[in-house]
Amino acid sequence: MSGDRWQQILREVTGVPGVRGALILSADDGLVVAESAMDALDTADVAALAAMLVSRAGRCAAAMGTAAPTAVHLTARHGALVAVAGPEPLWLAAVADHDAELGRLRLLLGDFAGAIG
Amino acid sequence: MRVLEPWVADPLAEFLRESSARVALVMTSAGQVIAQHGFTRSLDVMSAAALGAGILATTGELARIIGTAGNFGAVVHQGEQQGVWLAGFDTPRGRWIALVTFGRESSVGLVRLFFARFAEQLAAATPPATAVREVLAEGFERELDDSLRALFGGS
Repeated sequence: MSGDRWQQILREVTGVPGVRGALILSADDGLVVAESAMDALDTADVAALAAMLVSRAGRCAAAMGTAAPTAVHLTARHGALVAVAGPEPLWLAAVADHDAELGRLRLLLGDFAGAIG
Repeated sequence: MRVLEPWVADPLAEFLRESSARVALVMTSAGQVIAQHGFTRSLDVMSAAALGAGILATTGELARIIGTAGNFGAVVHQGEQQGVWLAGFDTPRGRWIALVTFGRESSVGLVRLFFARFAEQLAAATPPATAVREVLAEGFERELDDSLRALFGGS
């Protein structure tokens, strides 16, 4: 997978109305692998915290005896974070406003997540 | 946690809690240890401080050779089970160095994120500088003993 293809995927994700930014992150180290975001969005911070969230969700699933999570959806008062697992250890994530089309966003992330390896 | 300067304690405690770091060592660029968490032997602290300062000095020289303006922000060594984050940062008391080790419950990104906040909080918490006391030869041993007691406890 080339960097150009990653950027194309990220541009398509950020093209969804209400999406403030999208990134590919490494869940192992919480670092940004590729990104496309508005200036105000600190993708490095998002990657670090999303990786922690994914890690905690994984431990929670293990404690419950279920399979590792393949998607994490965090909704807050003013927005949401949606992250979908790609090939280990990559995750495709997006930060969106509260009124964004979250269903469409999640489907799009799911379609693309497998293609980021 | 043991600290020589009490105003370092709260920012360091928050950093350790938020980042889930295992061990932390804060020192001046001259190698004087300001605070430590996770070490149990003074010998380990002195060794880690010397090695950490040496690594930063080495990377600083590398930065100069390859023409990078200023030093690298941080040096990370990532192992299978543990990682080491080593960074210099500016404080109102001069340039300090932090050495942090973290396990799989944390990540480079998380340490980077909360380390930046730690440096900001430390700068905000730093009291105005007081006149530097001159350490006389006859008082040096007592000063050193006091510092070691503060950092490791005991009598």
